Amino acid sequence: MSEHIQMSNATESCPHEDRIDAMLRHYQVERFYYDEAALLDSHRYEEWLALFSDDAHYFMPIRRTRTQREMDKEFTQPGEMAFFDDTKQLLAGRIAKLKTGRSWAEDPPSRTRHLITNIRIVKDDGRTLEVESNFHVYRTRLNSEETSWIGSRRDVLRRVERSFQIADRRIFLEQTVLLSRNLSNFF
Amino acid sequence: MAFANTDIADLVSLERGEVDRRIYTDPSIFELEMEQIFARSWLFLCHESQILEPGDFFQSVMGRDNVLVVRQKDGSIKAMLNTCAHRGNAVCRAEEGNAKSFLCTYHGWSYGIDGYLNGVPGFNTFYNGELDKSQHGLAQIAQVANYKGFIFGTHDASAPPLEEFLGPTGRLGLDTLAMRGDIEIVPGIQKFVIECNWKIAVDNLFDWYHPQVTHAAALQPNVFPASPRREDRAEKIDMKGVNMQSGASLDLRGSGISGTKFDAVVVLGEYGHAIGGPTRSSTGYFEFDPAWRDTPRAKTALGPVGINVAGHPNIFPTTWATSALPQVSLRIPRDPSHTEIWWFTFVDRNMSREMRNVMVTMANRLFGPAGLLEQEDGENWAQATAQTRGIASRRMKHLLNMGLGRGKIIKESGLSRIEGLTSEYAQLWTYYSWAQWMKGLSWDELKKATTPGDCI
Repeated sequence: MSEHIQMSNATESCPHEDRIDAMLRHYQVERFYYDEAALLDSHRYEEWLALFSDDAHYFMPIRRTRTQREMDKEFTQPGEMAFFDDTKQLLAGRIAKLKTGRSWAEDPPSRTRHLITNIRIVKDDGRTLEVESNFHVYRTRLNSEETSWIGSRRDVLRRVERSFQIADRRIFLEQTVLLSRNLSNFF
Repeated sequence: MAFANTDIADLVSLERGEVDRRIYTDPSIFELEMEQIFARSWLFLCHESQILEPGDFFQSVMGRDNVLVVRQKDGSIKAMLNTCAHRGNAVCRAEEGNAKSFLCTYHGWSYGIDGYLNGVPGFNTFYNGELDKSQHGLAQIAQVANYKGFIFGTHDASAPPLEEFLGPTGRLGLDTLAMRGDIEIVPGIQKFVIECNWKIAVDNLFDWYHPQVTHAAALQPNVFPASPRREDRAEKIDMKGVNMQSGASLDLRGSGISGTKFDAVVVLGEYGHAIGGPTRSSTGYFEFDPAWRDTPRAKTALGPVGINVAGHPNIFPTTWATSALPQVSLRIPRDPSHTEIWWFTFVDRNMSREMRNVMVTMANRLFGPAGLLEQEDGENWAQATAQTRGIASRRMKHLLNMGLGRGKIIKESGLSRIEGLTSEYAQLWTYYSWAQWMKGLSWDELKKATTPGDCI
């Protein structure tokens, strides 16, 4: 797997109504992500988890510094080692862990801010969307610890009723050696 | 501050089970460690399965030296310094990959995968053909050796051979990984940085006193389901007077991770190798799929004593052979208060696809920066290191006196072991041996000084 970038579907040549529909769709996805980020930053993890489908896969591969001609091997694949390789059940376990009052790496809790940007809908078959976005997750811990994680996500969003469900999330960090002591937060 | 040999010896007291906290922050201690330990000891570089094809390389670290470990055309493995013989630039800037040659991007000196200097721009024009290429290859690591697939190197040409350095304790440690089948690497080395001194991280790997508290949240039944076998469940320990900041008592729900009956066995070895943790029968279900221990191959390699040792081995100084799953956690000192952690994960080549997936998933979930267990460890180690910066705080001792004086050493099958409950003997032995290394003894003197006595 590589972080291959797909171009968003151009709508400039489409009829006016289709362009309005595309803007509306973009607005809905953007709102979905902003709400998701707000849930994470206010530690409302159960509500955040409810945004995922039961069969969701949450995967952050390991990235490696390689030469240009081996860029196709930059990221590890599912089935290999990763930083996150979670089912919804495991995400639920992580959240249960945070709630125990004994999750010392998050008590006192970290302060996080999720900035989600550069949202691009790259595929839409009517039932599911493929969406790429960039994130900046900023964390401070205790009094002097500061971490910045910048990267991109590629989601498969399933249309449900009036919103979406995250059916697959790939998280690509811009770090090879992770420059933080842990990943006790969500992306 | 500078430390003379006599002062170094005073930093660790085997009699009192105490360590001077200055060893975690003092820059002169760190420099001395680089010289006396990391420039002399055999150090783990990588596993042979990471570099299968000619030209496959993995960039590793020995002390602060960047080292290229490269598979050769004849199938052998060479390790060399990643620094151009001309003006020092790195000749490879990728972490891993395949190379036909290594090019210095400064002036274009070009080396073969064996490190030989093949090409020099202007060799005739500017050097008049007078540069002796045979003398200016990449510097080869003084000694490189392979123990059952694990590649080690040492900067010291006079170091004893790897097998002798490992001794029965180090070999047992690596055998607990190598005997799980025909093992190979799972692609992807997890690498991350913890703001801690490397010795705090190493000290922790023997520590079976901490999981129940440090990892209390991860050991909740809805995170880690308890073993269905009643005999795997941990016995309760007394927690009288142990309260949280809220005043509530810290009740622990053991789920078999830190041993069931507290039966522990510690193995102490020459040069500072050690193993600490539960016996096989008391390890609960923490060791994933322990059936490999019943194979004739494993029984022969581990021997009658080793077969029952299920704790965590450390190959001195920094190679933890992790026992839950076959993994190596390498701790790479970057400066007194920063340590890189590298996780190497292995599976049996002949394993079913399903079993392989279960192993990889488990490895991803237990350890590494997002690992349910390791998340909490970094916080403890960073804070323990940070507090030693205070003059008054560092005057206090790092305490390792649990069971002190009660550790009767039994010598059998070439191993020195202590049986009993959870203890701090393995940590104390590591620090004691560390002090011997730091004195700059000869190899013979060092072996003698780190040969276990009758009691600890």
